[in-house]
Amino acid sequence: MKTLWELKAKQAAVVETINSQLTVSVISRLQEMGFSEGQQVVCVRRSPFKGPLVVQVGDCVYSLEQAVAEKINLALAS
Amino acid sequence: MERIVLVGKPNCGKSLLFNQLTGLRQKVANFPGVTVELKTGQFDQFEVVDFPGTYSLHSLSKDEEIAVEKLNLAVDDDDTQLVVCVLDAARLERSLVFALQVQALARKNNKAVVFVLNMIDEVERYGLNIDIKALQKELGAPVYALSAKTLKGVAAFKEALPSLAKQAQAPTELNIQLGEQRKFIERAREINAEYGIRSDVVLKNQNRIDTFLLNNVLGGIAFLAIMFFLFQSIFTWAQPLMDGTEAAIGWIASTLTGVIGPGIVSDFLNDAIFGGVGAFLVFVPQIMVLTLIIGVLEDSGYLARAALICHKPLSLFGLSGRSFIPYLTGHACAIPAIMAARTIESPRKRLITMLTIPLMSCSARLPVYALLIAVLIPKDATFLGVFDLQGAAFFGLYFFGILMALVVSTLMNVFTRKSKELKDMPFILELPSYRLPHWKPLFQRVINSGLQFIKRAAPVIFVISLCLWTLGYFPQGAGLENSLLGKIGHFIEPIFEPLGLDWRYGVAMIMSFLAREVFVGALGTMFGMSGAEENIAGLAAQIQADGLTLGAGIGLLLFYVVALQCVATVAMLRAETGKSRIAWGLYAGYGILAYLIAVIAAHIF
Repeated sequence: MKTLWELKAKQAAVVETINSQLTVSVISRLQEMGFSEGQQVVCVRRSPFKGPLVVQVGDCVYSLEQAVAEKINLALAS
Repeated sequence: MERIVLVGKPNCGKSLLFNQLTGLRQKVANFPGVTVELKTGQFDQFEVVDFPGTYSLHSLSKDEEIAVEKLNLAVDDDDTQLVVCVLDAARLERSLVFALQVQALARKNNKAVVFVLNMIDEVERYGLNIDIKALQKELGAPVYALSAKTLKGVAAFKEALPSLAKQAQAPTELNIQLGEQRKFIERAREINAEYGIRSDVVLKNQNRIDTFLLNNVLGGIAFLAIMFFLFQSIFTWAQPLMDGTEAAIGWIASTLTGVIGPGIVSDFLNDAIFGGVGAFLVFVPQIMVLTLIIGVLEDSGYLARAALICHKPLSLFGLSGRSFIPYLTGHACAIPAIMAARTIESPRKRLITMLTIPLMSCSARLPVYALLIAVLIPKDATFLGVFDLQGAAFFGLYFFGILMALVVSTLMNVFTRKSKELKDMPFILELPSYRLPHWKPLFQRVINSGLQFIKRAAPVIFVISLCLWTLGYFPQGAGLENSLLGKIGHFIEPIFEPLGLDWRYGVAMIMSFLAREVFVGALGTMFGMSGAEENIAGLAAQIQADGLTLGAGIGLLLFYVVALQCVATVAMLRAETGKSRIAWGLYAGYGILAYLIAVIAAHIF
């Protein structure tokens, strides 16, 4: 399964699930931010040296670090 | 007094709206250790309370928990007449997730709600439109489209506000209960799909600018340029203001003592009050200039990008991307820097940042650096034939401070990894739109920073000035050398021997353990010079003639880089961490570390 961390710059994908390894409050917040099932996300840019990822979801642009991005699972066919 | 509560997600322009409603006079309620700040102002007969920008009633961090708790209390309170939910017109879905939750909370407490669709100018700029009437019907509450920046629609809102506060609850389709979180998310999405604008249009500009500012090369250069500029401002720009403040204080002091005449009262006023307290007031302009520039960077949206750029590098040392502003601020003064650290998302990273801020070379160390560098390095000496050696030495000292901070952070990070209380918070940051900052919120913040600094540091410095003055003045007429302080200095001289220093340095060092600024003046007095602060070159010459060795000099310099010689900072740390143990422990710890480094240096060189 592909995660948000693997998304390349300018690529779009659809969110499938959020890994339950993250704490409940973090998962809840990510969902409120727009990372819920069926929602489209676009990777705006990646940062060098495994720095945080910049992603557009809905009407906002966010920066997420690797530890969070790799817990957001994307649907295969994007 | 009747109250109106103002809420909204971060970056929705709520602060400016608050300023437009209440004018420039506001009271800020601060809660140590958390970012939460409640601003209160007056509009007509209402008290308006501006709550910190919040993403959701379901909190993620301790700060958010406290903010939500206060919000719950306010909405429940009898005095509260109206809850104003501010929405970002260009980010309707995101704004609604929180706003709908608040609306449900208000209904539960039987309070009236009104929605403000702020930044409507940004939407209209793209030729887009939002159907306000339909939105109003959908939300079941009045909706006012306005722009706090251009003031469009603000007058109408102000006029309607008093009657809105008296209105009864209107019936609505919205019957989602608090706790049915998914429904709020879905509802927000529905409403936005129907009435919101297409986000691509608005985000395109922001992303375009980011292509430049977050670019690996160009963005990096831009970042360094901005940081250099910020750094310069602390020293170059603030200088005239600082000189002015110093002159003003000096004038007041001499006028007053002239009137009172010579004697103990005059000496007390001059040395303890104007000397001690006045000395720290000099830093206020610097802090205000710094706050202004950082405020501009923050309101323009750039700061989020900077935090993003710094995050990975700083994470290596156990810090967060958000740690770099406190670190930068620490080069002016640790007190506002520690306050700035409140924005760091992870409690552990926040603590580590706060504890290592004192290693940054603050302004108070400058006179000490200047004096010792003048003693040890000839004026025209060059480094590699081109670079001014004295300047290079200054730079080296700053660099050493930063290096020590990173080393200590790394160590602290390694040793607290297992600690359960300090959970880690993930780095999730919103990148807001780029905007031109408005002067009103900036002005507030600048004034506040000055007032906060004075409020925090003044009492502590006053008490210290008093103590030092008393110990140094009595027995009366004996001079500093034979005073109580002098006697203490002689007594502990053995401690300073390994550093290659005698009791005179000892006295000056003990005194500066309470506040660094006094070192130069105190040492001057020990060498028989009064007013040494104004005549550093003169004192330097005397010290050279006296025969201070290179090793002892370097040791002393390094000592001043590392040692936490500022009780005001200790008081601040204690307030922010809530634990005396940590604050005083750090004081002792850095003192010992500084001592060891100084001893080693004294013997190597």
